[in-house]
Amino acid sequence: MPMGHTATAEAGTGGLTATEHRLANGLRVVLSEDHLTPVAAVCLWYDVGSRHEVKGRTGLAHLFEHLMFQGSAQVQGNGHFELVQGAGGSLNGTTSFERTNYFETMPAHQLELALWLEADRMGSLLTALDDESMENQRDVVKNERRQRYDNVPYGTAFEKLTALAYPDGHPYHHTPIGSMADLDAATLEDARAFFRTYYAPNNAVLSVVGDIDPEQTLAWIEKYFGSIPGHDGKPAPRDGSLPETIGEQLREVVEEEVPARALMAAYRLPEDGTREADAADLALTVLGGGESSRLYNRLVRRDRTAVAAGFGLLRLAGAPSLGWLDVKTSGDVEVPVIEAAVDEELARFAAEGPTAEEMERAQAQLEREWLDRLGTVAGRADELCRYAVLFGDPQLALTAVQRVLDVTAEEVQAVAQARLRPDNRAVLVYEPIAAGSGDAEDADETAEAAVTDENEESAK
Amino acid sequence: MTELATMDFHPQPQAGEARPWAFPAPERATLDNGLTVLRCHRPGQRVVAVEVLLDAPLDAEPVGLDGVATIMARAFSEGTDKHSAEEFAAELERCGATLDSHADHPGVRLSLEVPVSRLPKALGLLADALRAPAFEDSEVERLVRNRLDEIPHETANPARRAAKELSKELFPATSRMSRPRQGTEETVESIDAAAVRAFYEKHVRPATATAVVVGDLTGVDLDALLGDTLGAWTGSPAQPRPVPAVTADDTGRVVIVDRPGAVQTQLLIGRVGADRHDRVWPAQVLGTYCLGGTLTSRLDRVLREEKGYTYGVRAFAQVLRSAAPAVPGGASGAAMLAISGSVDTPNTGPALDDLWTVLRTLAAEGLDDAERDVAVQNLVGVAPLKYETAAAVASTLADQVEQHLPDDYQATLYRQLAATGTVEATAAVVNAFPVDRLVTVLVGDAAQIEEPVRALGIGAVSVVRAE
Repeated sequence: MPMGHTATAEAGTGGLTATEHRLANGLRVVLSEDHLTPVAAVCLWYDVGSRHEVKGRTGLAHLFEHLMFQGSAQVQGNGHFELVQGAGGSLNGTTSFERTNYFETMPAHQLELALWLEADRMGSLLTALDDESMENQRDVVKNERRQRYDNVPYGTAFEKLTALAYPDGHPYHHTPIGSMADLDAATLEDARAFFRTYYAPNNAVLSVVGDIDPEQTLAWIEKYFGSIPGHDGKPAPRDGSLPETIGEQLREVVEEEVPARALMAAYRLPEDGTREADAADLALTVLGGGESSRLYNRLVRRDRTAVAAGFGLLRLAGAPSLGWLDVKTSGDVEVPVIEAAVDEELARFAAEGPTAEEMERAQAQLEREWLDRLGTVAGRADELCRYAVLFGDPQLALTAVQRVLDVTAEEVQAVAQARLRPDNRAVLVYEPIAAGSGDAEDADETAEAAVTDENEESAK
Repeated sequence: MTELATMDFHPQPQAGEARPWAFPAPERATLDNGLTVLRCHRPGQRVVAVEVLLDAPLDAEPVGLDGVATIMARAFSEGTDKHSAEEFAAELERCGATLDSHADHPGVRLSLEVPVSRLPKALGLLADALRAPAFEDSEVERLVRNRLDEIPHETANPARRAAKELSKELFPATSRMSRPRQGTEETVESIDAAAVRAFYEKHVRPATATAVVVGDLTGVDLDALLGDTLGAWTGSPAQPRPVPAVTADDTGRVVIVDRPGAVQTQLLIGRVGADRHDRVWPAQVLGTYCLGGTLTSRLDRVLREEKGYTYGVRAFAQVLRSAAPAVPGGASGAAMLAISGSVDTPNTGPALDDLWTVLRTLAAEGLDDAERDVAVQNLVGVAPLKYETAAAVASTLADQVEQHLPDDYQATLYRQLAATGTVEATAAVVNAFPVDRLVTVLVGDAAQIEEPVRALGIGAVSVVRAE
């Protein structure tokens, strides 16, 4: 087979293995067999996200992701959706700061169709892209923005806090959804240029996981993707590196129609892929993950000043990660009361470090999260792409849980001391106006959702 | 203007040979204490899912104490005879486990998920929670306050606000279904530890409960494990509670819940219809999917992909409550049949107009064979994907038990879907969504949407002013 390849098959977590291959046009391929259920997941990560966008065109990567579902040379209209769903599959795409992914989960005997569809749009999207699709999906995306951000209480918190945490001009200063004005300004030519620049086989990783025959799968991949020309016109994203700490407390007070006061904050944390990021994940879990965490016990159980309190980690590879604090107050409790308690708990944690029991709990929770993520073929395919695109090595996905379990209490304490400080955070305070005529979302889900959902936009 | 691609094109590939897959059949048994147990071995699923169903439905809540089932459900994870509330949460998390509990019309449900290596420990904690919950005064008081704090957040959420209004409109005031599942400020305030314990004593016992255990059980002696944990739970025998009939007023009308300044209008258009016991169910599932199951269904083809009025509108049927039918295939309970989504404020009138046109066209012309085929292929074909995890299988098995369906219901449903024709699917969906018998709730800016909506003539319009 005409593939310069670097096949390896190492035993990974739970006996999972993955092999790596590369087509002549630069497309990287990762395969992982699992014959327990007759399903196969296809995942394609393009190394482009909102960090690659330029001023005046925020939201373009995500709008473009929608256009990828509007047909290509051999696929009419909504055919990507129709053909996959008609084959008993499911599909979607999402856009984050650092990448755009497209995925299909198929009954195993329909795998070839998904590969054909992905290849068709990678190679020929522009033969189908027209004004009608552009205008329609612009409206759809604007309604997505209204539904998920503008029409829900606290809906724009993520956008506001990100803009505070990353300075103006930084590639992560704006979020993937983009602004209404920029969505209005995007042109068909912008979309075409975006495709020509970023959608190339050598800027993507394709993973296929599940009940597959690897040799046959590789042959199909070569057949459908092999003739798509690669190109090297992609500009590097603007540098996302920043000093380790912010050095001051940034702050914004929002007066809006919200049902309760809220304290949200973003702490600047180590980049994903480092041992320090795993230590930070454990620190945030001890402090604010689940219902036995220090902040939950303090604010919700003991002080009873909050209705919900939690920490989440937004892992980022090309810029500092963010530690995401979200506290909604109880009754008429004022924000300074919450803030003082949070600062006290963080300072105490930095001084004492986690107890052995807390480490055990936090590691068990993160291990469980990994089991969930790797427990489906789609989850595994996505993680293999993630490690291949962001860190150059998909095998790291299979050993990620072990790295979290290797972190010591001292390392957790060290990252807390260095990073979880008032002078290393951006703070967003919500003060309700027009009491009684509010807007709100489910307070129970907010802390986690901020990290897992709100940084991604999706087509469906 | 388009451009040429430079790749080699190949014809669309044909499917390979389908590998057999069937919805798993559980094993059913009864423990000495009367607890029904369904178990299902799923190789490779190392996170085990356990669902426990309690016959403690919302209609059993004492008058004036709406929400007591919810507070009880939450209080199960707030301490036992062995652990304080904080210790209990810590012990669960030490297992890498999650335990969610909630109360709904058919009963209370506890959902545990845990890596199989720590299943014994976590099952022990779950059994403690059911067998000897602490229900301490101060913990219940905290849960009550927490619940009161949540209510304004829900009121301000357009989707939840719409759901609350639709229930109030559809069901008679005497029906528990007309009122919020988790209670109102007034009723929740009245709940205390004594009320929670009384509800528990009256309605929670192994004899009327069912546990569903799904996952990779290789090397797990489940009988011994259950004997030591859920088997140690004791209680008096009892008959299952009778299930009240569901009635609803679906006279076509529109209720606008005013939300001044809203940039979108939340739509919830619904009525009540057949549940899974009714033989029309497979056809109703199929027809409802064709109407609004996905982005390529009739509603989104117009409202999203042609007009761009919305990020997505969905039609669905969701069982509210079912009883065992008197005769096979006879009436038993009811499902909520609904269309939901949000549309931008200025296009609210045009979007509703289009939506009604879609419904009228469907009634006049019916579905076509091609869309029926695609729907069947999707609904049946996605089963192996949908049921990849233990949690998904456990949840469906628990739904079946809760709705008094046989254990092979889901497997049978797939066969029935495959055998349902276009004509039956059309009849079912037209019957499910008749244009003159839909209650429309709109949460949005009344000043902007009221007049355009009145002009549509889709029913009398009333406005609930912002509270």
